[in-house]
Amino acid sequence: MEFGNSGCLSEDGIHVDMDRLKKGEVNLGTSIMAVTFKDGVILGADSRTTTGAYIANRVTDKLTRVNDTIWCCRSGSAADTQAVADIVQYQLGLFAMMNGKPPTTQTAVSIFQDICYANKDRLSAGLIVAGWDERHGGQVYSIPLGGSLHKQSYAIGGSGSTYIYGFCDANWKEGMEEEDAVNFVKEALKEAIKWDGSSGGVIRMVVLTEKGADRHLYLPDTEYQVRHE
Amino acid sequence: MPGFDFSNYNRNAALHARGVPLPKATSTGTTIVGCIFEGGVVIAADTRATSGPIVADKNCEKLHYISPNIWCAGAGTAADTEFTTALISSQLELHSLSTGRKPRVVTCMTMLKQHLFRYQGHIGAYLVVAGVDPTGTHLFTVHAHGSTDKLPYVTMGSGSLAAMSVFETQWKPQLTQDEAVALCSEAIQSGIFNDLGSGSNVDVAIITDKKTTLKRNYIKPNERVPKLKSYIFKRGTTAVLNEKIIRKEDLGNFVSVHELAVEETGDKMEVDA
Amino acid sequence: MAMFSQNPLMNGPNYSFSDAPKTSAPEGSREHRFDPYTDNGGSTLAIAGADFAIMAGDTRLTSGYSINSRHHPKVFKIGGTTADQHDATIVLSVVGFAADGEALKERLDSICKMYRYRHGKPMSVKACAQRLSTILYQKRFFPYYAYAILGGLDEAGKGAVYSYDPVGSYEREQCRAGGAAASLIMPFLDNQVNFKNQYVPGSGEGHALQERERRPLSRNEVEILVKDAFDGAVERHIEVGDGLQMMVITSNGVEEILLPLKKD
Repeated sequence: MEFGNSGCLSEDGIHVDMDRLKKGEVNLGTSIMAVTFKDGVILGADSRTTTGAYIANRVTDKLTRVNDTIWCCRSGSAADTQAVADIVQYQLGLFAMMNGKPPTTQTAVSIFQDICYANKDRLSAGLIVAGWDERHGGQVYSIPLGGSLHKQSYAIGGSGSTYIYGFCDANWKEGMEEEDAVNFVKEALKEAIKWDGSSGGVIRMVVLTEKGADRHLYLPDTEYQVRHE
Repeated sequence: MPGFDFSNYNRNAALHARGVPLPKATSTGTTIVGCIFEGGVVIAADTRATSGPIVADKNCEKLHYISPNIWCAGAGTAADTEFTTALISSQLELHSLSTGRKPRVVTCMTMLKQHLFRYQGHIGAYLVVAGVDPTGTHLFTVHAHGSTDKLPYVTMGSGSLAAMSVFETQWKPQLTQDEAVALCSEAIQSGIFNDLGSGSNVDVAIITDKKTTLKRNYIKPNERVPKLKSYIFKRGTTAVLNEKIIRKEDLGNFVSVHELAVEETGDKMEVDA
Repeated sequence: MAMFSQNPLMNGPNYSFSDAPKTSAPEGSREHRFDPYTDNGGSTLAIAGADFAIMAGDTRLTSGYSINSRHHPKVFKIGGTTADQHDATIVLSVVGFAADGEALKERLDSICKMYRYRHGKPMSVKACAQRLSTILYQKRFFPYYAYAILGGLDEAGKGAVYSYDPVGSYEREQCRAGGAAASLIMPFLDNQVNFKNQYVPGSGEGHALQERERRPLSRNEVEILVKDAFDGAVERHIEVGDGLQMMVITSNGVEEILLPLKKD
């Protein structure tokens, strides 16, 4: 059976269906997050892609550009999330050309939600979309499995996120400086990678501000301390 | 656009529900690899095709042509890798003709992933896409469900773990062409000897901005051992139960005959002396 | 083979919010249950000659697409006085599930040793063959997943080969191939050992043709057939390879020969 016909409501009312990943599919058993800070947003992710127990890619880039200052973090099926991100990137490119100005984060998020909700029975995609635009500055949205949309000041996702709810809740501060926000993301992902077997590799980040996108890379060789590239 | 014929779908589904087993497709339980070097990219593959535990073809070709500067190594269901690469190759050539530009590796990769995503993994093609185009040297993997990865060295197929262990211990940045070819064939041999789904010979393709070189059977580490005795039977050993002879001149009474010049093509079948 | 595994139930909702959906798993059942058997591949072969018997097996041990060992013997000397089996006269080969094969060998060996201790003489192949059948049938409802072949010399000094199914049905035969490549090797043996489908040229027409007369094969001829049979099997079966182990049983004892096979 290629598609899971099973599925059930767990006690807390959340629909759980681990069978939804199609057989042998490439999985992003991930740790992803995005946070707002004083000047914009920061997206962060680990870099592990798995097929079963095998690490198919140890340096994956799960932070995907859909417009200059609108990016998304992908979790779930690699194929599904890439397909969705590709469509949104195309739509936003078209939008920018038609209107002669870059789209807002809300526009991007709305397209994401349309796709994820309309195809909820076919997709296993858990997305966090974050962007910076002139009207609203930095914004973070989360689009979990069913295709609902949640605006948040910060969002975490993927299998590794379960381990860092406590950390994030305890250390979160509104309107941090960039350096503090980068540290917050890095420390949170370090914990997620430490405890979650399906997360690992390097930590990738992208900082979106008025100045554009700034990419960060931290390697486990240096305990994720030194910024590379 | 091409299309599949679904006319037997309902019948087959009903038969399957009643316990009729599905036909076995030839799978290329394979080792395929790719590696970027200074000035180009090399891909390599083993040459064994299997059907269950039986070797279906001892010397099949798993390196597929896409365009002169883009080649593909295929694992998974043999027919799917064959037809998918042929289809994309065709579309890419038309695209190249209509744009008047050389085909690009990203274009090829995007067409493959969109085609495979549409079929939700039912087309069992696992591909390594490699090539050199005006934008540079590129190497991708494309999985059957439509996900892609971009890496400096890649492996796929049942022997991918054996091959990756070679890359993860010996790969270094800025390889020369010879080093990359040696590393890739080493990785394939690791698959050939340690993975039962892979075997026989090593095929290699080297792509640079200047030219593409396909080295068919670059290494043959598994030559067949000669039989110790001859198994030729004396003429007349096999019983003939009935016999009917149609002479060449009478053949025209049964079928229309056109004499063609004989040309030698393909591999000769191995026959004992 | 994703290509053929589409399910007719697909046009229903892909998941439901009903209470007990995880109970039935229509295909590729996901429930965990005790599965004690593995097929470790490999092939064996035995041929009886006039005054000798040859038992052979490849030495590859596999599970799935992996090679667990390139030298794991499938052919064992049985019932010698000591652990090194220097004076053994009976040989057992086992294919299928390696752990069961090992257990079966140990069991039969200790029984043979007990027999020697109690009766003051080694067990005959005939007796050993019958005893092996009993051992296998004792586990009729939880069988040893092993295809056994027993070889030795009978009371008259002729080569004897006994082949078994996993639950103890057995038969004395001229030759037998067992395991993964049995279906590849057995027709070859029928043709080359028992001269099946071979007729004397010019001896008649159609059904009246005279079958080629059987003759006992020499030890050297049989060794060549065994090697060629395995070289052939290695070419077309992925679970056969690495090494060929041969045990030649003659009135002088058991001689062991190890030859290389292809390793891909």
